[in-house]
Amino acid sequence: MIKQLSQRLLGPVTLILLALTLWLGLWVTPSFKVQGNLARLVYVHPAVAWVAIYVSFGTATIASALYLWRRTRSMLVDRIAHCAMEVSVVFIILTLITGSIWGRPAWGVWWAWDARLTSTAVLGVFALAYLALRRANDDPELRARRSAVLALLAAVNVPIIQFSVQWWKTLHQGATVFSTDHGLKIHGLQAWTLLISFLGFTMLYFWLLRARYRLEVLRDERYRASLEEALVQRRREGVR
Amino acid sequence: MSYVAAGYSFAFGGLALYALSIWWRGRRARR
Repeated sequence: MIKQLSQRLLGPVTLILLALTLWLGLWVTPSFKVQGNLARLVYVHPAVAWVAIYVSFGTATIASALYLWRRTRSMLVDRIAHCAMEVSVVFIILTLITGSIWGRPAWGVWWAWDARLTSTAVLGVFALAYLALRRANDDPELRARRSAVLALLAAVNVPIIQFSVQWWKTLHQGATVFSTDHGLKIHGLQAWTLLISFLGFTMLYFWLLRARYRLEVLRDERYRASLEEALVQRRREGVR
Repeated sequence: MSYVAAGYSFAFGGLALYALSIWWRGRRARR
């Protein structure tokens, strides 16, 4: 009952939260002190990056670890890892694009080989390599095992992205929402809009993951059916 | 403001296109 209700509500609630993000972010919230209207990108870029690096890549990493652990090994977790990684690629690309659009007027360049930017791009390359590796293997178990190992190797990059702004002198700004002493740096309606954007994009991720998972199940069913059909045909040819 | 519009368009448009691609691949798989 609760599961059915949450599945039904996921789409509409996501739509409402994202519409609120657009409305509040573009028209209602006041402009910022230093960057003026340009800083309205704060309601999009960090939330997209959060989903890309932590939520979706995190899902793919956990599912891959579960696959490699014998007790929890199943094609279900492998499928979740694959779908989450594909969604992660989309979010990583959008993180880099929105960041670049913000960087051009703020820094004067579209791209800089800065630690935060470069490590995020490296994560994107790893995620693309993961999808390529899956296409290169036909054996489902071998494919699942190899891609799970690659996902875990790529996950080493996540803490590097997180701490890159502290470890190196970067063009990318440091913590925006929380200061180093964990005090809140953003207040009032701006803080609420930021929270709504994070919630909206996170729920959109789960909606996309569910849709992508259903597609994968459908493809597997079709593949199995066509395989069985081909086998029956072969047997018939043998009888003749 | 044009940079802001571009950022929002890429983020929301890109995700809408991806959702559309899932729907389209599903339709093709059902055929």
